[in-house]
Amino acid sequence: MAIKKRGTGLTAVADAWQLADIDVSASFPIRPYTAIMAELAKRIANGTMKCEMVHGEGEHAQFSIAHGASMAGARATTGSSGVGVTYAFETYSPIAGGRCPIQAIVGDRTLDPPGDFGSEHTDCLTLRDNGWIYGWAQDAQESLDNSLMYFRIGEDPEVMLPQIVAMDGYFVTHIAQDYEMPAQEQVDKYLPKFNPQFRLDTKNPVIMGPQIEPEMGPPLEWDRHVVMTKVKEKIVQATEEFAQVFGRTYAPFVEEYMTDDADMVFVLQGAHAVTCRSAIKYLREAGYKVGMCRIRWFRPFPDDALQEILTKFKVAGVIDTGTSYGAPCAGGVLSTEVKAAMSEILNKPIIQSFTSGLGGETITHDEFFAMAEMMQETLKAGKLIQSGTWVNFNDYHEGASQINAAKNEAAPSK
Amino acid sequence: MAKVYKQVPFAAIVPSPQTENEGMITGNWRFLRPVVDKEQCTECKTCYIYCPDACVNYSKDEGISFNLKYCKGCGVCSNVCPVGAVSRVPELDFDD
Amino acid sequence: MAVAELIKSIAQTTDLVETYVPGHRTCAGCGPALAYRLVAKAAGKNTIFIGPTGCMYVANTSYACGPWAVPWTHAQITNGGAVASGIAEAYRMMIKKGKVEDDYPNIIVMAGDGGCSDIGLQAMSAMFYRGHKVLCVMYDNESYANTGIQVSPSTPYGATTMFTPAGPEIPEAKKHHLKDPMAIFCSGGHPYIKYAATASIGYPIDLMNKVRKGLAQDGPAFIHLQCTCPKGWSFPSDQTIEIAKLAVETGMWNLYEVVDGDWANKIFNVVPKKLKPVDEYLQTQKRFCHLQPEHVAEIQNFVNNRAKALGMEVPLPPAK
Repeated sequence: MAIKKRGTGLTAVADAWQLADIDVSASFPIRPYTAIMAELAKRIANGTMKCEMVHGEGEHAQFSIAHGASMAGARATTGSSGVGVTYAFETYSPIAGGRCPIQAIVGDRTLDPPGDFGSEHTDCLTLRDNGWIYGWAQDAQESLDNSLMYFRIGEDPEVMLPQIVAMDGYFVTHIAQDYEMPAQEQVDKYLPKFNPQFRLDTKNPVIMGPQIEPEMGPPLEWDRHVVMTKVKEKIVQATEEFAQVFGRTYAPFVEEYMTDDADMVFVLQGAHAVTCRSAIKYLREAGYKVGMCRIRWFRPFPDDALQEILTKFKVAGVIDTGTSYGAPCAGGVLSTEVKAAMSEILNKPIIQSFTSGLGGETITHDEFFAMAEMMQETLKAGKLIQSGTWVNFNDYHEGASQINAAKNEAAPSK
Repeated sequence: MAKVYKQVPFAAIVPSPQTENEGMITGNWRFLRPVVDKEQCTECKTCYIYCPDACVNYSKDEGISFNLKYCKGCGVCSNVCPVGAVSRVPELDFDD
Repeated sequence: MAVAELIKSIAQTTDLVETYVPGHRTCAGCGPALAYRLVAKAAGKNTIFIGPTGCMYVANTSYACGPWAVPWTHAQITNGGAVASGIAEAYRMMIKKGKVEDDYPNIIVMAGDGGCSDIGLQAMSAMFYRGHKVLCVMYDNESYANTGIQVSPSTPYGATTMFTPAGPEIPEAKKHHLKDPMAIFCSGGHPYIKYAATASIGYPIDLMNKVRKGLAQDGPAFIHLQCTCPKGWSFPSDQTIEIAKLAVETGMWNLYEVVDGDWANKIFNVVPKKLKPVDEYLQTQKRFCHLQPEHVAEIQNFVNNRAKALGMEVPLPPAK
């Protein structure tokens, strides 16, 4: 029987891992993802989950432990946040290149300096080149559902890639919300047992990860590149079958909200979509024809889906909740990638980038209104007025200059 | 004309060898070949245990012999032999 | 202490299957290669090796192949202990849950001195602390050898390496005495190590039996294994074993076991009737050829003090 529960994104993924009967999980504390490991520990201690928790000596060790466990043939998980994610950086390519389909949860968090527990997407975006598959969930339900879908896709013998269930720190990891935990029978129908073709087994000995000649490298890397294309097909399949088994339908790559007659769209990923949808309702009442596109997968990047969808609009305001100092056109990672996906497409919208929600701040309705005003000015002008806007810092909407002046008097930033 | 690459197995995972690793044949490194004087040899197996490349073979019938396909000619066997039964002879002295 | 089947003599070793087979790109006379062969021989077929980056990774697996007739995986130089821990717990869990029908395998991390007590120190310490059933063998060739012989915390005082050349400003070449992993891991701070020992490729039966004793423990074990290195230490390739024995005969290396964590009462395995002066050892390797008498005296002092601190009862040469 599926159960209705009140919990968080972290308890939801713990539920998914319980249903998936994971064998090993590697823990280390760092805010805000820590509570999932505490939850697992409780369930292990009281017998609800049959899993070994290995207390790693740091995040680099956590990922290494999960890697070893996966090579031995176990279903292994781990997780982290913020600088923990970046501390483990060395391990990401070996794990993905070794084609070990471990699953990590990242409750994202602003990178130091200075210490800031609030959410930003930067931590998880830093590993985008290393061959993992991942995306942001917007709430607890999607976190749980993503976890199950990611196991299914990542462990597919034609894929064999590690996955990250990413979610906004605090907004998804901590806010109490209602969700449904599926029944074990449903999960058993949807998710096969982990049965890798190769594992460390004294009855069938293999050598994993030998040194290679330089000219053997490109074919291995080509394989990793080709499999990312396969992942897109598997995403469509897995998402459709998910709907059939569990009754919840997701757009495989990009969720559209009120886009039917929109001139402009917000493009974003993660939990700020929740406020965005609410802000859109007000904006619509005020006469703005605005909608939202929420990207559900960051790697593989949904370029085909975006190319189809974004050409319907005249302006796309991409919201980066994170930083990429020195990036082209004062954008963040997400806007740079959206621009790249659209660059050769006829009838692409004018793409402007916003940076908002940094440091774990909520993107408020007012901020969405300000962004909509700026996008409206772009729409009227027919061209970009300012390519990268850090909301509340260099806004150009009506009334912005007075607001900015007042702010500078109160607390001048250098 | 596009370059044709060698076939590389999935994730570079390769099967373990059973008795020899032909992916790295090292006999051609050698310029001094070990030769055992069977008269002097007491079959104590000291050379056998100290060869880093497992290139000293021992059998009851044939005693000590050397795996020339892989032997690098390091000379450890000659150095450790307690009775001096193993000598190192220039490769160029041999026909094969 | 759990009981292991011990090897009695060299004669017996030809009956043991070779699982580190011919065919690897290690140097002629490579000490660590012999170490791998002996450890593999002692452990047998039901063994999984973890090989952090180092000579015993790059040289052995060049290219896209390897000489192990048993399962082997690469690990980063930083995480040998962590990867081994994951494998150990995966096996425990999979066996417990009935997901596999295998017997628990021997799990051995073969880490170099850097991968065990420098860049890999954290992972090894954590593995020992958590008590996983894994044997860690530190093959110590006293440098970061694979990258071209650079200094490591296991390089002895006075040794030349690429990062510690001798010169007028630094005549001793390497300024620091070495870090002792046996003391770090086995003097009481890691209570789950029930068996630890130093070993040398010059004493193969002793080494193989220590491997077996380590594998018989129901928890972690540690072997600190000196492997002479012809290329790194600059001596002719045929002297690999001769120099290994000389290390023990001069006290530059000591052979002992720590059983059940009893650091105070070490069991000494090979104690020379008296220690030869260290100069006899230093003369055999070009990495020491720049040493002046005061540096040799410093080394002799170090060896003497260490022998006393370890509790070795042996006549010591005078330090000048």
